[in-house]
Amino acid sequence: MATVLEVKDVKKTYRMGKVTVPALQGVSFSVEDGEFLTIFGPSGSGKSTLLHLIGGLDRPDEGEIIVDGSNLLQLSDDKRAKLRLTKIGFVFQFFNLLPRITALANVELPLAIADVSEKETKERAKEMLKLVGLDTRIDHRPFELSGGEQQRVAIARALINNPKIILADEPTGNLDTKIGGEIVQLMRRLNKEKGQTFVIITHDATIAENADRIIYLKDGLIEGIKQAPRRSKQ
Amino acid sequence: MKTSKMFGMAWGNLKKRKLRTSLTTLGVIIGITTIIGLASLGEGLRFSVNQRLQQGFELDVLIVIPGSFTSGLRGFGFSPSDVSNLTTIQNVTLVTPMITLPTATVNKTTTQEGLGAFTVGAINFTQMQEMLPQRFRLLGGHFPNATETNGMVLGYKAATVNDTLIASVGENVTLQMQIRVPTPPFLYTYNETYTITGILAEGGTSGLTNFDYWAFIPLNTAANIQGIGESYQIILVKITDPQISDDVSKAIETYFKNSVTVFVPSSLLRQVNNVINLITIFILAVASISLIVAGVGIMNIMTVSVMERTREIGILKAIGAKSRTILSMFLTETMLIGIMGGIIGIVTGYGLSYVLAFAVSGLVQSSQQSSGFSAAGNQSQNLKITPIFSPEWTIIALMFAIAVCVIFGLYPARKAAKLDPVQALSYE
Repeated sequence: MATVLEVKDVKKTYRMGKVTVPALQGVSFSVEDGEFLTIFGPSGSGKSTLLHLIGGLDRPDEGEIIVDGSNLLQLSDDKRAKLRLTKIGFVFQFFNLLPRITALANVELPLAIADVSEKETKERAKEMLKLVGLDTRIDHRPFELSGGEQQRVAIARALINNPKIILADEPTGNLDTKIGGEIVQLMRRLNKEKGQTFVIITHDATIAENADRIIYLKDGLIEGIKQAPRRSKQ
Repeated sequence: MKTSKMFGMAWGNLKKRKLRTSLTTLGVIIGITTIIGLASLGEGLRFSVNQRLQQGFELDVLIVIPGSFTSGLRGFGFSPSDVSNLTTIQNVTLVTPMITLPTATVNKTTTQEGLGAFTVGAINFTQMQEMLPQRFRLLGGHFPNATETNGMVLGYKAATVNDTLIASVGENVTLQMQIRVPTPPFLYTYNETYTITGILAEGGTSGLTNFDYWAFIPLNTAANIQGIGESYQIILVKITDPQISDDVSKAIETYFKNSVTVFVPSSLLRQVNNVINLITIFILAVASISLIVAGVGIMNIMTVSVMERTREIGILKAIGAKSRTILSMFLTETMLIGIMGGIIGIVTGYGLSYVLAFAVSGLVQSSQQSSGFSAAGNQSQNLKITPIFSPEWTIIALMFAIAVCVIFGLYPARKAAKLDPVQALSYE
């Protein structure tokens, strides 16, 4: 299996006035294409920081991050934006949909930014919404949808550019157990059907149970890595 | 992002905040309304004044009088050879001299009743008709022919009182004046009977004087009066094209070694235009301030909007929007405000100009009663201003509106584009 993501000795420290907060103190791991990886850790362990760095939203102080062959440190802001547009899909805890536009328009956004034709954009957005089971609610605005439905829209939006990696930040953190479980199953299904790599930050045991591999993060360091039995058998 | 999509999104965002958008746009509307209103009124004023001046002056006739401010006024008269020499100047088509008899009085021979002639001029009637065809139109009678040496033509005002004729063609009048001569008795009284052969229609002001108040006798008759002779006080020069007035004027001054004054009507017109331009620019500069104020309003509102939409900007950046895309999104919104405000402002501006024109025309009418300045054949004293729709001003105003909106939108748009995506995403 090809490596789709490499994190090499990444360090990041935040400065808040005179206080410095070490968020990541040297983290290294790699992710294979098609893997369903969970980064598990308590709050303040640096997992969100790690996700932002992988997604190119922020830069590490030290170390390297290589996404599908591109070293993020060497890319300009615009090139990193393009990488996010074409190779990375984000799913957030609070869904982060644009509130004033419909579910369909939210899903269309990445393609609209990428200058894809209107016809193709519409077709693909509908297809994605069907894939996440929301094809009957495409004209609803986010406030007319339940939390689980909003997260499905967010997943459809993350998938529409057919990215290499989906980065999810506590995707079930704002949902109840049942709906959260459904979202995890959906992501797992997409991972299997479409072969997309998932890197999911969580402290939800349900997600961890379903993962190929779990990385335990604490105080900005990797505390341990657990390979799921299913995956290791392959 | 495609331009059409960008405009679509911007329009959607503006529509979501209807009241805010309307109020922001209102600022632009007021600015553009003022600019267009005043500009089209200014164009209308320029047109009216130009039309007035063109009717009041023959732009292709230069008036030459002896003496100048630099050489000191001198009492010489022009000679017949001066007249024929001026004819040789390039682009000059006709030269005709005038003798003025300022102290002369004209009374009816039978009743000794005085006529309203302020000045008596001696002219070549044939040349004068060609020189000033608009002024030398007969109301009745004919111009004196070669044999009618004692024929006289009266100006309209000289022959009427309150538009009622007091003299008629064929009537005899007495021309009386004191003439200085170099030999004793040095001063004698000229007293001669003339016959009215014609009366001029109302011609209005021409150049420096109003011929309506004049009486005219044949040039040759005046030249034969003892003590007057062939010495002319005014020379009228007709040129091929008003555009070359200055060149011809210079040539005339050079011929007379700068000892004459040449009155150039088109230069007056030019100066009046310059003054109107200056006034228009000044007024527009003042009006532009209102648009600048609108711009500050836009900057204020967009800055608030950027703060409110911080999270949205973070999301867009996370899903791959470049800083430039975010910048364009906000600038498109301000540009749309500029386009909407500009178009509405242009329409209301032309409306305003009609209201202003109505008010200004009323003012001019009441203040103009006593001026006595009138156009050829125009009985009415009103200076009516009709606003002029100018495509240039319309385009300039629209561009100005868009430019102001984009320039003032630049700061908030840059602020949005520069937002750190991580911080923006966690903004509550």
